[in-house]
Amino acid sequence: MTDLSVTIGGVTLPNPVIPASGTWELPETAAHDGAIASAGFPPGAGIDPAELGAVINKTIFLDPRPGNPPPRIVETPSGMLNSIGIPSTGADRFIAEDLPRFRAAGPPVIVSIAEESVERFGTLARMVEEAGMADLIELDLSCPNVHTGAQWAGDPESLSRAVSAVVSAVRLPVIAKLSPMVRDIAEMARAAEKAGAAAVTLVNTFKGMAIDIEARRPVLGNVTGGLSGPAVRPMAVAAVWAAYEAVSIPIIGMGGVSSWKDAVEFILAGATAVGVGMYNFVNPLVMREVREGIAAYCERHGVPAVRDIVGTAHIRGSGSAH
Amino acid sequence: MNHDYLYESAEVAENREVLPGYRRITVRSAGIAAAARPGQFVMVRGWASQADPLLPRPFDIAAADPEAGTVTVIVKIAGRGTRLLAECGPCSVPGGAAGSGAGGRTESSSGDRTEIGSAGLAAGSLRIAGPLGKPIPEPYPNPLGLLVRGVGSAAVTFLAARAAAAGVRVIAVLSASTANRLIGKEELLASGAELHVATDDGSEGYHGNGTDLMDRLVAGERIDASGQAASSERIAAVYTCGSKRFARHVRSLEEAGVCAGFMFLEGYMACGRGDCHGCAVRKRDGSGYALVCRDGPVFPVSEVEIE
Repeated sequence: MTDLSVTIGGVTLPNPVIPASGTWELPETAAHDGAIASAGFPPGAGIDPAELGAVINKTIFLDPRPGNPPPRIVETPSGMLNSIGIPSTGADRFIAEDLPRFRAAGPPVIVSIAEESVERFGTLARMVEEAGMADLIELDLSCPNVHTGAQWAGDPESLSRAVSAVVSAVRLPVIAKLSPMVRDIAEMARAAEKAGAAAVTLVNTFKGMAIDIEARRPVLGNVTGGLSGPAVRPMAVAAVWAAYEAVSIPIIGMGGVSSWKDAVEFILAGATAVGVGMYNFVNPLVMREVREGIAAYCERHGVPAVRDIVGTAHIRGSGSAH
Repeated sequence: MNHDYLYESAEVAENREVLPGYRRITVRSAGIAAAARPGQFVMVRGWASQADPLLPRPFDIAAADPEAGTVTVIVKIAGRGTRLLAECGPCSVPGGAAGSGAGGRTESSSGDRTEIGSAGLAAGSLRIAGPLGKPIPEPYPNPLGLLVRGVGSAAVTFLAARAAAAGVRVIAVLSASTANRLIGKEELLASGAELHVATDDGSEGYHGNGTDLMDRLVAGERIDASGQAASSERIAAVYTCGSKRFARHVRSLEEAGVCAGFMFLEGYMACGRGDCHGCAVRKRDGSGYALVCRDGPVFPVSEVEIE
């Protein structure tokens, strides 16, 4: 049996496969309830949270947010543009109603937060820590669909300010989620590490848009959106590769993962854990298939532990830091 | 997130044209057939490519037969995904439907990633997730009115069948531009519904708007074959699908206190299960958005905007 466990910020994840924030919600009903079971069939589809390396919420802000006007999504070649706008019920209700369910799910809990000032970032992070149900905090510094989102991760100085503010506010390990829409992703990863981040997540979506040529109007209600899906994977792998060369903190790699092969590619490029995002929409069982596929790959290659192959595609002995 | 659904490969039992540009597709899925209730939908993906087209497509359940273990949807061919579904059938040559996505690809270590994942997709089959969405609450309003146009009839044929089987009097207005564009007529007749056809050009049934015909029906007129009206019990609620004009009309009926109104909505959605938050529809009370997949797809006409 392959040891699939990995460590992020001192927290051991049972396996390296986690949902990308906002692409998978904790089931509200148990799989063994409802019409499927009462019709005499085995429990419904979908991933059991206990199968995951970690559970993570759709990003919260301090205050409730309605999200962006529709249309919010549009399919593009091998990808999807979204401009959801991070709807949420706000921090109080999340902590009271949702966070206990995340805690009860089993795997380590990552709480994804975003805010528009360093002060509010610190306040929100403290609220999450004081609730005592989170293992890690991920800072969404890079959502392209909210006004300030991408700005935090747009330059090293603002990134450092946000990360430092939260790192100094809480004891929980902090993950910085980075944007690929920068001149030098390695520089951004270094800035996050220097500011005290325990890990970096990359990449968030790429800004894009689509135009309805008959209506002569943007398709998305918010005009632009974030591109994700298999179309972005090579760019995401290159970003993880570059970040791995630049920092020694763990990397959570994501961007277009649709199979175990994609996940292994991210791991070999330097990702300690792998996020599965929009492909959860296409195949509700993809995270299970990815986990099982990684394990089979490791067995086939005689690798006792998945952490042994992290970053191993990098050429060694030629000046690499690893 | 809805967890009470099945996700499986399902064999296509039937895939036939009902009108140019429209297909009736029936798949074998005993679990979904047994669990499905009127008002629910399925997400369907019927091609081998893992990446393109990317997203499954949502369809209202037009019929579900627990005994036969089949689920039926009506597909309007509108783009690449629905065109591929139209080709996905029991008659395709071996490897035809499922193999086409990989055909001609360069064999390489990365090239096979565009094929379906570990579970595989056999020729003449597709991936289906369902039943999704909230079922229409039972018992159904009695008498129950249906006001539908075009492919929108696919959403209510299942409701008509189950309601009529439960002893509900179902009064359906089926509208189209012309007689040979009527969809769902046989299904509605077979369900036992009292069927009233309205065509814009008068080529069949009532010559004029379906809304006008429905107005006479909700007012309690019983319209017989000779067009004579007789008094009858009043329709308790009208369900509508396929036309924003119809939805607005049903809202006006409700606001006038004539009957309750409900509408089937569609929306751009990636998952159908409440995860992606793509299919937002604005709530009329100003409290933000509802999700078509999670909170619908059937909504009271008073609850969300008709956009």
